[in-house]
Amino acid sequence: MIYVGQRLLRAILLLAGVSALCFLFTEMAPGSFFDEMRLNPQISPETISALRAHYGLDQPLAVRYGRWMKSALHADFGYSIAYNMPVAPLLWKRTQNTLLLTTTALLLTWFISVPLGVWTANWREGLLDKTVTLASSFVISVPELVIAVAVLAVAVRWRLAPIGGMTSTDFDGLSEWTKLQDLTRHLALPVLILAVCESAVIVRHIRASMVEALDAPYVHAARGFGIRRARLLFRHALSAAANPAISLLGFSLAGLLSGSLLVEVVCGWPGLGPLILEATLSRDLYLVIGGIMFSALFMVGGNLVADVMLLAFDPRIRREGTNAD
Amino acid sequence: MKLIAHLTLHVCLLAGICFAAAPAPEAAKPGEELARDADVSGQYGGHLTIGQRSEPKTLNPVTATDAVSREVIGRLMADLIDINRSTQQTEPALAKSWKMSADGKTFTLQLRKGIRFSDGYPFDADDVLFSFKVYMDEAVDSPQRDLLIIDGKPMQVTKLDQYTVRFVLPRPYAAGERLFDGLAMLPRHLLEKPYREGHFAQTWGLNVAPGEIAGLGPFRLKQYTPGQQIVVERNPYYWKVDAENRRLPYLDELAFLFVGTEDAQVMRFEAGETDMISRLSAENYNLLVREKSRMDSQLADMGPSLEYNFLLFNLNDLSGKKLDEVARKQTWFRDLKFRQAISAAVDRESIVRLVYGSRGAALWGNVGPGNKLWVDQNLPHPQRSLETARQLLKSAGYSWNPAGLLVDAAGRPVEFSIVTSSSNSQRMKMATLVQDDLSHLGMQVHVVPLEFRAMIDRIFQTFDYDTAIMGLGGGDADPNPEMNVWTFNGTSHLWHLNETEPATAWERELDQLMQQQMVTLDYAKRKQLYDRAQQLISDNLPFVFLGTPNILAGANVRVGNFHPAVLDPYTLWNADELYVRSSAPQNAGVR
Amino acid sequence: MRTKTLALVAVIVGLHLVLLFAGFFAPYDAASQNRDQPYAPPTRLHFINASGFHLRPFVYAWTANTSSNQPGAYSETRSVEYPLHFFVRGSSYKLVGIYETSLHLFGVDEPGRIFLWGTDGYGRDEFSRVLYGGQISVAAGITATLIALLLGCILGVIAGYYGRWVDESLMGVTELFLSLPWLYFLLGLRAFLPLHLSAIETFFLLTGVIGMIGWARPARLIRGLVLSLRSRNYVLAARGFGASDFYVLRRHILPETFGLLLTQAALLVPRYIAAEVMLSFFGLGVTEPIPSWGNMLGALQQYSILVSYAWLLAPAGALVVTSVLYSSLADVFHSRLESSLT
Repeated sequence: MIYVGQRLLRAILLLAGVSALCFLFTEMAPGSFFDEMRLNPQISPETISALRAHYGLDQPLAVRYGRWMKSALHADFGYSIAYNMPVAPLLWKRTQNTLLLTTTALLLTWFISVPLGVWTANWREGLLDKTVTLASSFVISVPELVIAVAVLAVAVRWRLAPIGGMTSTDFDGLSEWTKLQDLTRHLALPVLILAVCESAVIVRHIRASMVEALDAPYVHAARGFGIRRARLLFRHALSAAANPAISLLGFSLAGLLSGSLLVEVVCGWPGLGPLILEATLSRDLYLVIGGIMFSALFMVGGNLVADVMLLAFDPRIRREGTNAD
Repeated sequence: MKLIAHLTLHVCLLAGICFAAAPAPEAAKPGEELARDADVSGQYGGHLTIGQRSEPKTLNPVTATDAVSREVIGRLMADLIDINRSTQQTEPALAKSWKMSADGKTFTLQLRKGIRFSDGYPFDADDVLFSFKVYMDEAVDSPQRDLLIIDGKPMQVTKLDQYTVRFVLPRPYAAGERLFDGLAMLPRHLLEKPYREGHFAQTWGLNVAPGEIAGLGPFRLKQYTPGQQIVVERNPYYWKVDAENRRLPYLDELAFLFVGTEDAQVMRFEAGETDMISRLSAENYNLLVREKSRMDSQLADMGPSLEYNFLLFNLNDLSGKKLDEVARKQTWFRDLKFRQAISAAVDRESIVRLVYGSRGAALWGNVGPGNKLWVDQNLPHPQRSLETARQLLKSAGYSWNPAGLLVDAAGRPVEFSIVTSSSNSQRMKMATLVQDDLSHLGMQVHVVPLEFRAMIDRIFQTFDYDTAIMGLGGGDADPNPEMNVWTFNGTSHLWHLNETEPATAWERELDQLMQQQMVTLDYAKRKQLYDRAQQLISDNLPFVFLGTPNILAGANVRVGNFHPAVLDPYTLWNADELYVRSSAPQNAGVR
Repeated sequence: MRTKTLALVAVIVGLHLVLLFAGFFAPYDAASQNRDQPYAPPTRLHFINASGFHLRPFVYAWTANTSSNQPGAYSETRSVEYPLHFFVRGSSYKLVGIYETSLHLFGVDEPGRIFLWGTDGYGRDEFSRVLYGGQISVAAGITATLIALLLGCILGVIAGYYGRWVDESLMGVTELFLSLPWLYFLLGLRAFLPLHLSAIETFFLLTGVIGMIGWARPARLIRGLVLSLRSRNYVLAARGFGASDFYVLRRHILPETFGLLLTQAALLVPRYIAAEVMLSFFGLGVTEPIPSWGNMLGALQQYSILVSYAWLLAPAGALVVTSVLYSSLADVFHSRLESSLT
């Protein structure tokens, strides 16, 4: 209980810190939302400064932060200049979409990388090991965006799956079953891209820690006792090797939000990514800050899950953990 | 492969039939004064999908500022007088006719009788009065307001009878009827209440219920899915009919998908997920040309656009700013011979070939060959010559040090940077070419890519830059939208902002010419004035003009009446005339 | 095993020497444009002509196919042969940034051109650009990784070892770092910097920014591991015998983290080299006309380029090769370490 309380306190402090630094950063960044209007010769500077005043952008930083805090307490999280509406409802719908994409991608990632990692660690220098190492080097070295565009280009040529969006235009008219099919087909490419990019990293970590675990004396001993190989691998070695992998999982949960940002943009997935990226580039301050707060929340949640799993998987930490509390 | 393409086409057509819920066009009522497009024919039914780079922000035509929102709003709304994007001339829209007084100050507009908003409510002069009140209201902060305030005085709008409205401008305004283009007429019955209650700016956001928004455009809102799409359906009361007196539009529905990036636009078009695409880069256009074997499309190269890209010199007054380094470089930039040398050294032919893949035109002035009505045909187009450039520099007191670097009269090496937007790969490429061109003169030039708004901030606010590559124009062919670039106190007088009086004699003359053309009503006289202005600009080179891209657009073969224009919105300006062909024609080719 | 390791080390050293002496191995200057040959495909080496087989390969010139209006459409002009020469004089460059020379490993006589890996949109030799680009990219990638791992290791070990409030606060800081809007920070940072940044300044900027943003991830990984290590019996025993924290860290904790650090390093070097693509967008990357693998990869993000000009994938290929070499090296180190510990 104390542990949960501590985490909660940390989360609140974190959110306060993030919001304060967000305001500071946005203050430092040059340019404002209305800059694009300056390029339109038909709009006068007076109109632009009137608009700035209208949205309170001419106020000092402290005043704006105070106003924003008040709005955050009302669960509005500020006001989007571009959309002319409170930030929270804008973010909410898209958060759901992002979660759908990222959790699916996460499941697939672990589904791919755990068996592969275990297999390659057990049969080191084998053909599969070499292939996986090479493939993961390739995926890690090429920027995610290039991989995404390449996958989409293949999909365009072979008409494999819808290359963008979350649903077909006539989605509302479909039956429940076809709706699910439609959604799955649209999920295919973004999930594939995310899972491939993420697996390349995770498989490396699982392999490395499995190698370490398999070389540990107690595994040799267990082998000597004649414990079945599969049980040895998945029951003993894997749980010992899980540590960095679980720490990574915490990130995957949180990091997929930022990781999926570019993929969402390229695939036209209606998640937080395109919204936040566009808001950043157009200096729609409160929308950016709101988006960052949302992802900070996920970060806290993801790390909490990871820490709890560390406790659950690693008996040694568990002992220490109970001592500490 | 072809078989698959056919199958997808059939699936698409079937999907189109599933959309049968769109309202049927209303039969014409007696006394309804409809506009007849005498040369338009097509078939009813079907729906088209358009990919947009980002999500529209609002459906409110008064407060919308971004191009994407306007693209959608333009289909829902109509204006009194419209600029036909194809002929670039004005034509009657909600006003069936108009008269300008001899002094060019008064416009009397006759509205169409008996026409209705998309919710069936009748439209008359009170809606016009209400609309203009809203546009000109300071509290609403409409970006269009500045257009209607001339010399600080608002337009006078009076209702003469239920279908006649008179507009009085404070002074004569050449081509004044063009002002009405793009000003959407608003339904008073829906908007007066929020306007009176002071929350007009918040109305008609994206989450507006379809029943609460109505316009006079060919379509009306059907559905908005956050982050994904806006679907609009036929406005059954639309005021235009085709050659056979059938009420437009032909399409049942138009769906705007938010696809994210230009590349996503291209890929989804190629995959057949969207039907039309515009503002294509030459590289993407060439790609689609190559892919024609796999994907039947109609592609159109409409020739040079009205946009002009240029190298801008920072000639701003920097006193009071701590920018000594830039101020020192300004002594070079202020020297006309220095600018002329740069202009002579720039290889425009290479820019057209390498940046625009030969689908563009070189520029020596602010008006390009795409603007046939206003371009000065006598403007010289000197060949690129490094020799001329070197002569110019030599005569201006520059010399070359043993290392081959250019030094000024005081012995300082000529070194400056070109700022450009990192998101615009074409301008980045131009900068790299110019950098290489100028290195042949011994100038050390650095390309500095900046994020778009960070660059705008430097150019408009801090003046902390040496030179920049930018683009302007593209809105309308008329010289009037250019006023703010070329008059000394204009808001886009980029090379020297916030001038209190013309800094040089030629700027004074340019200012006078621009002011004069604005009040001159006769085209020939106006053209003469504007020609002289173009000459002044190209002689004095505040900008070194580089080039302009062609307007490139494409559509699926099944799209009928696809007539892209050089003006924005390139492919959707005739959305009311677009239709879905029941069978694809055999010879759809590249134009 | 030994010969394999030696071979690996030799290949890695060789690669770095090639990059270091890029000027000698590259036939052309990285910035020199051939505007009549944009997107030219790789020049083909020929051995056989009408008079039979030749040991010395020769090349033909590319002529642009103007009729199609498509860049990248070229055909070979077979009328003139340009034989390949070795140790030729060409454009002058500074070897390792010091010694000025114009000697190149290979080349063909003017006006012939040899583009082993084709050209980019300005007609610049892709092969030369990959070699020159590797100099700054590889150095920046390794340095940034070192910074991030050093910071991450120190903070992660402290957090994991001392636990409780130290852990809580340090992990709070990593969470803060991981959730901040770095894009905005980069915009702000750019505004404070001078307009033009030299290659050296860019190098420090790249490594500094990436290292600063990047340390949080490794820190969390290491912290998780140390959290588990510190309660192992031998560590508890050592502490029970009154060993100092420093001794325990040095003797028992740090060596156990090497495996994880090496895995991370192998992952991060290529990641950080590619990270320059993002930084370039904010004007913090290596700028034209200076090549880097990052800004060359940036061009590949364009769909039309990726599907039209396969040879422009060369920097990606170079990065993959480097990354494979480094991860093999990490593996070798790792197994060495293991065997020396047990």
